Amino acid sequence: MKESVRSVIQRNLWSDNQVVRQILGICSSLAVTNFMSNSLVMGLGLTFTTALSSLTLSALRNAIPRRIRMIVQTLVIAVYVILVDVFIKANLPDISKALGPYVGLIITNCIIMGRAEAYAQKNPPFLSMLDGLFAGLGYTVVLMILATVREIMGFGSVFGVDINFLHLPTWTIMVMPPAAFFLIATMIWIMSNVLSTKKPAAPAPAPAPAPAAMPGKEATT
Amino acid sequence: MKQGPVYTIVFAFLLTAVFTSVLAVADAFYAPKIAENVVLAERRDVLYALGLDGTGDAATLNARFDAQVAKKTVGGVEVYEQNPVEGPYGIAVPFTGSGLWGTIRGYLAVSSDFSRIVGIVFTEQQETPGLGGRIDELQYKEQFRGVPITGAKIVYGSNGDREIDAVTGATVTSNAVLRIVNDVLDNTLPKLEVTP
Repeated sequence: MKESVRSVIQRNLWSDNQVVRQILGICSSLAVTNFMSNSLVMGLGLTFTTALSSLTLSALRNAIPRRIRMIVQTLVIAVYVILVDVFIKANLPDISKALGPYVGLIITNCIIMGRAEAYAQKNPPFLSMLDGLFAGLGYTVVLMILATVREIMGFGSVFGVDINFLHLPTWTIMVMPPAAFFLIATMIWIMSNVLSTKKPAAPAPAPAPAPAAMPGKEATT
Repeated sequence: MKQGPVYTIVFAFLLTAVFTSVLAVADAFYAPKIAENVVLAERRDVLYALGLDGTGDAATLNARFDAQVAKKTVGGVEVYEQNPVEGPYGIAVPFTGSGLWGTIRGYLAVSSDFSRIVGIVFTEQQETPGLGGRIDELQYKEQFRGVPITGAKIVYGSNGDREIDAVTGATVTSNAVLRIVNDVLDNTLPKLEVTP
């Protein structure tokens, strides 16, 4: 049974959002959300990787031996991440320097493998690509919300532009990873409340529960 | 099912070969550009440390660099020296030291009479973004311009007629930078002085 495009979009951006509903990709949400520009590039890099790796894995899904499917997934994901990394290094050297190791760490992001395992291996390529694309965009949206709050309160700036005209004191805690914990927890709480007060969601073709999170690699500095 | 061990092994080999070839091609295609970017970034940083104009596109920057700066080996240290101008000119001395998470590399430029720091720049650092990583911001780096070299250690607070502030919330990184700077002043500068 094929899922409708609309349902793929709605599910990934809202009802099954990867970060605040599936609680995946938390590691990078803690580490890269203190600046909006970093979050944006991280989100777009992840979106690109998830969409293309889901597309590739879905296209190969009938050929991949089940026993080595996870190794194949990792290989495909790594290839796309390295391509992103090389591309940014060659064409956007300044952003590459600002992001440092983050781009490479996209490989360890649980969301990409989650989509590959839960969706791409049983659905056709086009839908899988859309699923990956919108899973990534859902992640990007959450990251941008977190980064907006953290950058404004922690640095008094938006995309690096100072907007703290009143010279109010900034909160150092907002710059540090614990702030993302508080904010993500709050968002999860709000989302759960909003979604549970509605009528029980239509029997959505919910994806299988995501696999156990991959070991978080991000240093929670 | 076509899932026997032979199929699995052949599939794994083929897939790996295809994907690594893609990467090899992409890498070969972009390698010259990346190498060029690395050189350019280094030159821009050296110009900045020397207090010269490090802005502009690749061609302008390379021309300006070639006209104003020369690479020399003095006392066993490879430095970038500003072509002598009237009065003291800058010498950019490379440094390497450990920060909180990794190695911090960069250049400390001093005046040719070793009386003042001309500027500092970090070419490589893995400090916490938003905290220690802020040593890369102008607000921090500019503080080192014109700090007098007296033989006493550079400290946070006042140094002769100049003040240097640490980065708030990044004590370890801030202290690491001072340790590296003092190390350059104490150990590397004497080597340069041997050859007039």
